[in-house]
Formats: sequence, structure tokens, C-alpha cells
Amino acid sequence: MNPALSRTDKIHAAILAAGGGGLVCAYWIAFFHSDLTLPKFVHDMTNPALVRLTTVYLGFESAFPLADLLIAVTASLAAFYLVGRDAKAVLFGLIASGALGFLGFIDISFNLLHGLYAPALLLKDGGLLMEAMINVTCVSGAIWSIWRLWGHPLRRAEDRPSRLMGPRENDPPTA
Amino acid sequence: MLSLAFACFIAALAIGTCVEVVARLLNLWTYRSPLYPLINVVLIFGLIQGFGVGWVIGGREALRGVFPVLFMVGAVLGLLTEGLNEYWLHAWSWSDRPILGIRRSIDKSAFIGVAWGFAPLLTVFLARLIAATPAVGA
Repeated sequence: MNPALSRTDKIHAAILAAGGGGLVCAYWIAFFHSDLTLPKFVHDMTNPALVRLTTVYLGFESAFPLADLLIAVTASLAAFYLVGRDAKAVLFGLIASGALGFLGFIDISFNLLHGLYAPALLLKDGGLLMEAMINVTCVSGAIWSIWRLWGHPLRRAEDRPSRLMGPRENDPPTA
Repeated sequence: MLSLAFACFIAALAIGTCVEVVARLLNLWTYRSPLYPLINVVLIFGLIQGFGVGWVIGGREALRGVFPVLFMVGAVLGLLTEGLNEYWLHAWSWSDRPILGIRRSIDKSAFIGVAWGFAPLLTVFLARLIAATPAVGA
């Protein structure tokens, strides 16, 4: 029998499902249908330097949905298997966390190189501030998730047997 | 011509019906009640994946940019649906017939959950064809 689902596992599954699955989907729906996720400078058409930065920024951002698809799907799969106390939770959780950390660092690198973390900019631009918070959450969430899954008891557990398959040789007898 | 919103709903119903017919012919899963396949086609396929995801996300934009988002949202909702059934509802159960070599019920649920991502994608493609087709006699 695989280890029981602890309270922290339930929280971890909820974070993977709601954060890695739900919020990533919500972000991209908002990106394509509203200005909620966009920084204010993208609306400034008077400054040629900002217009050039906007073109680069939007081109960079529009490359993310396909990569975020991997995160949303693997994070949801990790939550799905974690609730079922199945060893694949660790596999998909590590894939999702690794991908999340990778994309977080790419975003941070882009923002640093283009000066988008300048305190003066962050304070007056809610969109940039939200993005900075997302970056920090992505990297810290990925590190926490990898740390938890690395030492998780399911990492060395066997896959949960199917309801349709009979008991295996090593399964304990049921009452 | 049909509105794209209604075309999305109709297209998703058509896709859902095809999926259920194929699943019945191949004996892939069975429902606990004869009402459940109807609920699945109308509610999950038609309203949620077709109208909800397909039209809300893919109804107004050029598909080139949003197709990963369509798949992403469809798959996440699909995994939620399959998870609810696998762990709590038990409205349908898998037969012992493997799906592409997958035998365990939890893996089948996960695989089909991700495959739900194709539902809104196909819905939008089909709905655009339906919406662009002039009505007979028009």
C-alpha cells in the first residue's frame, strides 16, 4: 500500500492544480482577452524607445503559451496522481516544477536585461509589479515543489494497482 | 449563418456523440446510469468544453495564437473531470480493454484527461466550418 496522503500533500496537490493548472490557464485567457496582464508601457505610443520595447516584449510573451501548456498539463497530472497516492505524482511534479523554474528564470532574465525591475517602473506600473510577483512565485514555488517531491515517500513507492487488476504477489491481504 | 457561439455548442455536441459512439463500439468505458452519457455530451462536451472553452477562448481570436491555450484549458478541465470521477463520483468505469497499451484505470483517466485538450481545439475548427457554411436555400 502506498503512503497515505498527508495534510501537506493535500496542500501540495491543491497548489499544483490551482496554481500550476488553474492560474496558468487564467493568465493566458486574461492575456488574450484583456489588458489585465499587460504593463502600462505597452500603451505608450509616443516614445519610440518604448514602442520598440513593446514590440520585443509582446513578441517574447506570445512565445510562452505553448511552453506553459507543458507546465499546466504536467502540474495537473502531478496533482491528479498525488491525490491517488500514485508514484507518477513525483515524476510529473518534478517535470512541472523544473519547467516552471526554467520559465521563471527566462522571464527574470528578460526583465533584468531590459530594466523592467527598476523600482521606479515597478511602483507606477501594476502590470509589471504583478509580473515580478509571478516571477518570484514561480521560482520559489518550483524550488519548494522540487525539494518536497525529492524526499517524498512516493518517490520510492510502486505504482498504485488498478481497480480492475487482481492483487499482486506482494500486496498485503485485504480483510 | 449560425453564430459562432451556437456553432461551437453544436460542434462540441457532434464531437461528444462521436466519442461516445466509438467508446461504446470499442467497449472502452461503461456508465453507471444510462443518463450519464447524455450529461457528458451535453454538459461537459457541449456547454463546458465547446461553448465555455471553445467559444470564450477561441471564438474571437485568430487561432494561431490561442491554440495552445485552448488545449491547455481543455486538458486541465479534462483532468479535473476525470479526477472527480476516478476518486469520488465513479459515474463511469473503465473496461479491462487497454487504451494504447494503458491498462491501469488511473493511467487511463490521466491519459483521457489530457486528451480532453483536443475537444475545444476540434470544436473551434469544426465550428468555424459550420458558421461559415451558408444555410440551405439562403
